[in-house]
Amino acid sequence: MTTIQTIRKSSILLLTLAVMSFISCSSNEEDTAASLTDGKSNVITDLAGDTGASMGSGTDGKEQRSFHTFLFRFSDQKQFWLHTKADSLQYMKTTDWDLAFTGPYNSEVFVNNAKYQYNPGYGGPAETTAVILLKEAYKNVTQAPSDADFNTSEITKIGWSSSESSAGWFYYSLSSHIMQAIPDRTYAIRLPSGKYAKLQLVNAYKGNPPAVTDLNWPAPYFTFRYFVQTDGTKNLSTN
Amino acid sequence: MKNISFPLPITKAMITILVLIHANLIQAQNKTVISGVINSSGRPIPKAVITLEPSGKTILSDDQGFFSFSGISNGSYTIRITNMGFKEYIQEISLNGHSLQPLRIEMEPGIDLKEVNVTSRITKSNPENLVNAQYSAMPVTIIDRRTIELMGSRRLDEILKEQTGIAIVNNIGGGARSVGVQMQGFGSEYIMVLIDGQPMVGRNNGNFDLSRISVSNIERIEIIKGASSSLYGSEALGGTINIITRHGVVDPQMQATLNYGSLNIIDATVEGETPFLQNKGTANIAANYYRTDGFNTNSKYIQGTTSPPYDNYSLQGRSRYQVSENSFLALSGRYGLRRSFMQKDFGLGHISGDHQDEQDLNLSVSFDHRFSSNLRSITRYYLTHYSADMSVAWQQNNSAVSQDVFKQTLHRAEQQFSYSSNNSYQLVGGFGGSIENMNDDALTGANSLETLFSYVQGEWTPFKKIKAVGGLRYDYTNNFGGRLNPSFGLQYFITPKITFKTGIGTGFKAPDFKTNYLVFYNSNGNYLVIGNAVLAPTLQQLQQDGQISEIRQYVLNQTAGNLQAEKSTSYNAGLIYEPSKSLKIEGNAFYHKITNQINSIQVATGAGNRIIYTYQNLPEAVNKGFELAIKLSPLKNLEISAGYQYLIAQDLSVKDSIRAGKWPYNQNIHDPATGNSYKPRPSDYWGIENRSRHMANASIFYRHDPWKINANVRVNFRGKYPFGDRNGNQFIDKYDIFVKDYVLTNASIEKQILKDHLTIRFTADNIFNYTDPLMPGQPGRILLAGVSYRFFKNK
Repeated sequence: MTTIQTIRKSSILLLTLAVMSFISCSSNEEDTAASLTDGKSNVITDLAGDTGASMGSGTDGKEQRSFHTFLFRFSDQKQFWLHTKADSLQYMKTTDWDLAFTGPYNSEVFVNNAKYQYNPGYGGPAETTAVILLKEAYKNVTQAPSDADFNTSEITKIGWSSSESSAGWFYYSLSSHIMQAIPDRTYAIRLPSGKYAKLQLVNAYKGNPPAVTDLNWPAPYFTFRYFVQTDGTKNLSTN
Repeated sequence: MKNISFPLPITKAMITILVLIHANLIQAQNKTVISGVINSSGRPIPKAVITLEPSGKTILSDDQGFFSFSGISNGSYTIRITNMGFKEYIQEISLNGHSLQPLRIEMEPGIDLKEVNVTSRITKSNPENLVNAQYSAMPVTIIDRRTIELMGSRRLDEILKEQTGIAIVNNIGGGARSVGVQMQGFGSEYIMVLIDGQPMVGRNNGNFDLSRISVSNIERIEIIKGASSSLYGSEALGGTINIITRHGVVDPQMQATLNYGSLNIIDATVEGETPFLQNKGTANIAANYYRTDGFNTNSKYIQGTTSPPYDNYSLQGRSRYQVSENSFLALSGRYGLRRSFMQKDFGLGHISGDHQDEQDLNLSVSFDHRFSSNLRSITRYYLTHYSADMSVAWQQNNSAVSQDVFKQTLHRAEQQFSYSSNNSYQLVGGFGGSIENMNDDALTGANSLETLFSYVQGEWTPFKKIKAVGGLRYDYTNNFGGRLNPSFGLQYFITPKITFKTGIGTGFKAPDFKTNYLVFYNSNGNYLVIGNAVLAPTLQQLQQDGQISEIRQYVLNQTAGNLQAEKSTSYNAGLIYEPSKSLKIEGNAFYHKITNQINSIQVATGAGNRIIYTYQNLPEAVNKGFELAIKLSPLKNLEISAGYQYLIAQDLSVKDSIRAGKWPYNQNIHDPATGNSYKPRPSDYWGIENRSRHMANASIFYRHDPWKINANVRVNFRGKYPFGDRNGNQFIDKYDIFVKDYVLTNASIEKQILKDHLTIRFTADNIFNYTDPLMPGQPGRILLAGVSYRFFKNK
């Protein structure tokens, strides 16, 4: 009878599995931080965002206020906080920064730009900057797009990818309430300095875990990597 | 951490009862007696379980196969004898004032295969419930007390996860304490958990955490796989787990058990049982203390524990009293208290403190009356209350992440009748109602859910070769309306060695208050959820207040005020093949169709990019597959069994969306290995999260009589299963995050000494110490040593 054969097969399978389990019992280990390093890119791990703010009421200890924005400069990895109006006046309308981390959990990222009214650099000197989403793996982006493409790009904010047209970097699951960076989204950037760069936002959870297994995993702690071509060409190869 | 102490009145009551039992141990009785000797092929059968119905008394035969029930009143009784490796034995007895001659009982060797046992006759082992798994058209699995003892498991989840097709699953979105059971692909929200046939309450995100129940006082566990609303009403959409507590005694006895081992686990139980008032009454009482340090499966990223440490106290009692010749009054109660505090350190001083206090009360009163030997009635009332006080806070700045107090109360009254015409048919009918209240800090206002129900179940043997079971149940709930659920099962004895069985049943789950009336703002995720029934007016109000930036009109028109009950239909069919008395093979195919599953959908966007959701019904999901089971006994006292489940669980709306090219399902799938991207096809959809394609188990149980040693080894395999979406297309494809295949091996050995008074036991769970960060609830190796001492009169 075929059923019996199937059962015999499955019991043989079981015995084999039992034997296998004697030999090895490794657990899930993936080191994602090491795999980001390529020798040319800057890898930023666990850059703390505003961990003192909360979105809603009833959260003791955390202030109910909007998250403080911080700015980030590629050349020396410097983080500028905009805690006060004076901070804003001092830094916002300058070319001293490249990225701004804004909004809930600092998850909405802007490239310094003078033209878009919600960009922290609005009205400042960064008039020629632009960003383009390339749906490719970071290491496969070896060339910045043409200036014509940068000139026509309409991407303003890189945040939650909640619709088809969104160029966002993460997806927020309503069933698990976890935000997850979308793989193969690399951003080509024309910087305030006129140089070209590429950027990958990797994680917003502390330690850049391969999978978030706890609803209250500390966030925002940004892991991202970028490469700026200092010779002014469009060559973005990091291989 | 809070100071932990056992409530004083309970301690006092317990001591009093245990002292009474001890006093009874010394007393002697001499009343009408039913006794006998059990043999098989001329050899006595020790340790057979003998149950006397309708008293519900249970005893074990001694080394000579002898058993005796004393102090029995006049009336008609059924004795039922079960023992591993033998077929069940049933005999009707009537008493008229004289003691009977001792019975000579010959048991036939054979296997009562407990897996996939469709429509087979099941012991009516709960004396306070006439509705039971016997009338289920779906496969029934039974785990008896002896198996539980031999496995050496402590909590209910540990027993269940070793059963074919059952998994214990963490729900990450529900927080670290949201753990539930999954059965033939059905999630925990669709599995009803009952105690002595009455529903238990208290769920976290739909998940019922079975680890809050100690197995120490369980007589048996009945598991029905598949839609069973015709037996138990709403919630039994995907199946039921019925815990039957210990009951019925003739001889007073007491037992004390202590286990200690890894993770500083302490499992201590004191239980006693005794007859009282000239054997007219019986009482069982048990107290259990359990503690664990919890454990960590993700030490690379987290210091502390991923599964909570806790202290659990429970007290359980059950008593039955013969009011008159044909009437019994029964009382039962259970109280559980679990206190838990879990710390997690994510590094750099980020320490979270997660605290939970849970209390659980179940009380039941029933009156059992026999009008004649054919007609019986049970009237019963049940009250259960559950409360959980939970909070999660960051310790360095004492800031709360979440705080909630949840309370749930259920009152239930029911009248049952049963009628049997000797052997050709049996009928059970009844009606009742329940009121359920839920209070939650997160809910606005208190709500009450009222239900009325009525049902009829039956078993019919029209010909010698055919047996049929069927049922029909009508449930009416105040916030949803009425629903009728039928079921039908058939068993055909093709030859003495081959039996064909099949069944069909339906299930439903009424939309709860949350999905209809809750308006909830999640501050962490910056989104708003609006219950379906209040959707249109709430959106209108928000729009007037200037809070809305866009409304998806087509979604609103489709969903608002139109939420249907979730429904399921289950089909199964299989064969049992029994070529010899020591080999039994079963195969069973199942197909569960779930329609109108309730899920969230975006209906609008608020100011500040706040996303607004409501609930909608999804078209259809399907769980299909098959189970195989084999059981053989090549030698006396040696039993080998194995089980396998193949399962495909898919949400058909995902396939439709891929086919229709809807965003985000239509995004190209990227193969990280080759770097190629391609357009998704419906066949790229792997299935629903947390469901394994393959699950298997095998076990060997052996008893060496001369040394009085029992030993067993159990191996459980779970095939890889999806943990979550990695690439943002909102469905599982093969490049998403999967939990790897794994094998867990457990073993246990026990020896009885001092004339069976003392038992020594060693238990090893997960011998090869397998853990995975993606399984926060599966501990590594656990080694335990235990002793139990039984006080009873030596014969």
